[in-house]
Amino acid sequence: MRIETCWFCSSKVYPGHGIQYVRNDAKIFRFCRSKCHKNFKMKRNPRKVKWTKSYRKLHGKDMTQDSTFEFERKRNRPERYDRNVAENTLKAIKTISKVRASRYDTHIKKRMMGNKRKELDRDRKEVRQDIDMVKAPSAQNKDPSFTLPKIKIKNSQPLEENHAMEE
Amino acid sequence: MIQPQTHLNVADNSGARELMCIRIIGASNRRYARIGDVIVAVIKEAIPNTPLERSEVIRAVIVRTCKELKRNNGMIIRYDDNAAVIIDQEGNPKGTRIFGAIARELRQNFSKIVSLAPEVL
Repeated sequence: MRIETCWFCSSKVYPGHGIQYVRNDAKIFRFCRSKCHKNFKMKRNPRKVKWTKSYRKLHGKDMTQDSTFEFERKRNRPERYDRNVAENTLKAIKTISKVRASRYDTHIKKRMMGNKRKELDRDRKEVRQDIDMVKAPSAQNKDPSFTLPKIKIKNSQPLEENHAMEE
Repeated sequence: MIQPQTHLNVADNSGARELMCIRIIGASNRRYARIGDVIVAVIKEAIPNTPLERSEVIRAVIVRTCKELKRNNGMIIRYDDNAAVIIDQEGNPKGTRIFGAIARELRQNFSKIVSLAPEVL
């Protein structure tokens, strides 16, 4: 028994799960679930479907090059059982997955850097542009409560720009 | 799921091109045939100048189905088309070559077909 990878989303296919489709030229397509099978039948390209691994790799969303990926390999010769080897492998799996997770976290953090600043800028711009939706321009001039405390002290006319910043 | 009136492709070089199932061998009122089952079929289309002709009644064994095939180990396999190989009364193939992938289920009763096949899955 072998853990295969899904042709569409590249996730693991455990024994007893999913379906295999054999084309007439004997190429086998393995799918992890009916979702992937259906998408294949709709002739969708996994590189263009956003939730697949191949899309994420192609667009730099996921980690692509890492030494932890190289432990996973396809072997056609069955390994002879050895208790020590099995024990060591089981230990190694834990540490490797930990290392991979931490590296993945840093990768995501790096990728998300600068996003907060962008979001803030976008929000500010929106408030500045669409302040009229909260209060009509004429009402803004009349209503003293809408003016901001700083400006009140100065007793100057309310400036739209300042509203926006305080909001 | 092959039933009477189902059209099948021919996966060998016997000379027939298309078959139509007219009966399933096995029980008196059997409804559907699967991979590895023998059917009685009529040749709907044949290559000219070959021993087999149109509207001839022959026996064939099903080698591929669009309907999924479930194995005991949990594997589910689906093929591209419905295809059969023409056989004689003893179960020997009429053609000398087999085309396309063939299911492993045929190995028990049709070892000759399996040995001719380019790919057994």
